[in-house]
Amino acid sequence: MNEHPITLHVMDDLRRSRLTVFFRYLLYIPHGIWLEVWGIAVFVVAVLNWLVALVIGRPAAPFQRFNAAYLRYWTTVYAFLMLVANPFPGFTGEPGSYPVELSVPTTPEKQSRLKTFFRIFLALPTLVVLYVVLIPAMLICYPLLSFSWWAALITGRMPRGFRDLGANAIRYAAQVAGYALLVTGTYPNSSPYVGMALGEPVVAAVPVAPAMEAPPAAAEPTAPEAPEAPSEK
Amino acid sequence: MTKSSRRLLGLLIIGALAAAWLYAAIRLWRTSVPDDLKLPRVDVGAIVGASELHRAQHFSLVLDLFGLAGLLLPLVVLALYAKWGHCFMKESAAGPIGTGMMLAMLGIAILWMAMLPSNLGQLWWLRRYGIVKTGYSEMVIGTWFALGSEFLGICLIILIVMGFARLLGNRWWLAGAPVFVAIGLLVTFVQPYMSGLEPLRDHAALVQAEHRIAKREGVAAVPLKVENVGGLTTAPNAEAMGLGPSRRIGLWSTILDGRFSEPELEVVVAHELAHHKHNDLWKGIGWYALFVFPIAYLIARVTRRRGGMAVPLAVPLFLFAWIGLTTATLPIDNAFSRRLEAEADWTALNATNDPQAAKALFVSFVRSTNENPNPPFWDPILFGSHPTEAQRIGMVEAWQAQNGG
Repeated sequence: MNEHPITLHVMDDLRRSRLTVFFRYLLYIPHGIWLEVWGIAVFVVAVLNWLVALVIGRPAAPFQRFNAAYLRYWTTVYAFLMLVANPFPGFTGEPGSYPVELSVPTTPEKQSRLKTFFRIFLALPTLVVLYVVLIPAMLICYPLLSFSWWAALITGRMPRGFRDLGANAIRYAAQVAGYALLVTGTYPNSSPYVGMALGEPVVAAVPVAPAMEAPPAAAEPTAPEAPEAPSEK
Repeated sequence: MTKSSRRLLGLLIIGALAAAWLYAAIRLWRTSVPDDLKLPRVDVGAIVGASELHRAQHFSLVLDLFGLAGLLLPLVVLALYAKWGHCFMKESAAGPIGTGMMLAMLGIAILWMAMLPSNLGQLWWLRRYGIVKTGYSEMVIGTWFALGSEFLGICLIILIVMGFARLLGNRWWLAGAPVFVAIGLLVTFVQPYMSGLEPLRDHAALVQAEHRIAKREGVAAVPLKVENVGGLTTAPNAEAMGLGPSRRIGLWSTILDGRFSEPELEVVVAHELAHHKHNDLWKGIGWYALFVFPIAYLIARVTRRRGGMAVPLAVPLFLFAWIGLTTATLPIDNAFSRRLEAEADWTALNATNDPQAAKALFVSFVRSTNENPNPPFWDPILFGSHPTEAQRIGMVEAWQAQNGG
């Protein structure tokens, strides 16, 4: 019941580096610029992908991989900016590289041509919900003048509630973007229990060969938090 | 080819490169100021007044101490960062270049924090003398946000250096140095468009004077613009900017606030126009190019001990080596700049034929900036991009001795 093709896996240990928290907004700037540049390409690809999906009934595989990588990258950057995760993210959206990571289908699924044609209109209500969810989350988790920024700066740890709130906002935004970009035909779910995997690495969500290595972040000696664990002080 | 002939060939190439370097440096060093020009000793106290001189000396001495802190503190901080900066690698989940960028940004951030007390002290001193109007919180917040552009700059540098290092190994400097020169060119070209210059209004006579001077000097007139700095400082200034079609003369709003007479402003404009006439901005880029190659080579040599610039481990050492070598070349850079400024003063005297206005201008500079007109010998070596006001007044007197007036 709590499954969604686009799922956020949170393997964060709540520890925060005070130095990077203090300069978090500035450290985000190179990523912000790269995100904008990549976003322009994504916009072009989205239009082409939409036309392809209307003709063949599913998105093109290279476009699907391109958009999936963008969504993964977007997730890591916003997790970093909103203090949902600690480390400085990479620039490629490579899977298995970050403690807060999105599992996104990289193989295109068959989608209804009618729903594809009206996709932008169908996505509109989710955008309204997105703003309702995102704005409070950003006010709480955004660097500078926010509760969580001060909390992380003073204590060196991110309060779990704030972290989960930010993670949920990111999860929902990723689901909305994935739906709008035709990465999935599954409608975004506003429930915080759908498409959220706290304490589970991405590899656990996707069937893989046993020999495949766990992501480096998961291999770090950090203690992932179970979703049922009581709130920390 | 035998080992000894290879060695001989290598020495010949190095010798030819060194000769070319020296030739270019000598060409850039030359100016049109007569070589035999002897500057007379100027009694500045008699010109500006003993109390004004004492005030300027006191002001400059303390400012120099802050300046020394500004030179030495980064070296100490970055030396420590070179030793321990790698500890921050655990804060990155990025690849080698991304981690290198993060380490470089954190190095700059730590430097900002370390420099903050000294910068606040300097601001206090400048505010005390009414030179700067910026508030303390405004300065802290402003410089914090300004770090954003510094972060972008250092990320670009790391991307170039580490990108080439991953392709070319320790020979990255051969490709990296020309890219840095190209970036220098681009920055100089676009600077007038990024400086928020406004059109010069209510100074039609000054524009006419500039056209007159340009015609006399045989150069094209350059657009006169205003840089609005009134909310930040009271210090007067002007600068030549841009290359080719982007050439401008930027006059700070503080120099147009009525403290300077029209003939004095004409000297200022003639001085800036002289920079364009002598292609000083091109010369500046040429001078930068002369030094960027050896500096990049030395950085490549130094960072080899940390595995070379292809790995992020070398980035903290890179920052230290870069700032260290830039600081080491500061005296020669300042000397070069002073020669260009002296040449612009000389050309302005020839163009305006008004030594009284030039002398009055330089005396006004002492009063309005509080800078010591006759500082100790080490001050111009470390901080002097322009001749001292005593030297500038001396040049006016030398010009008068040669040309009368």
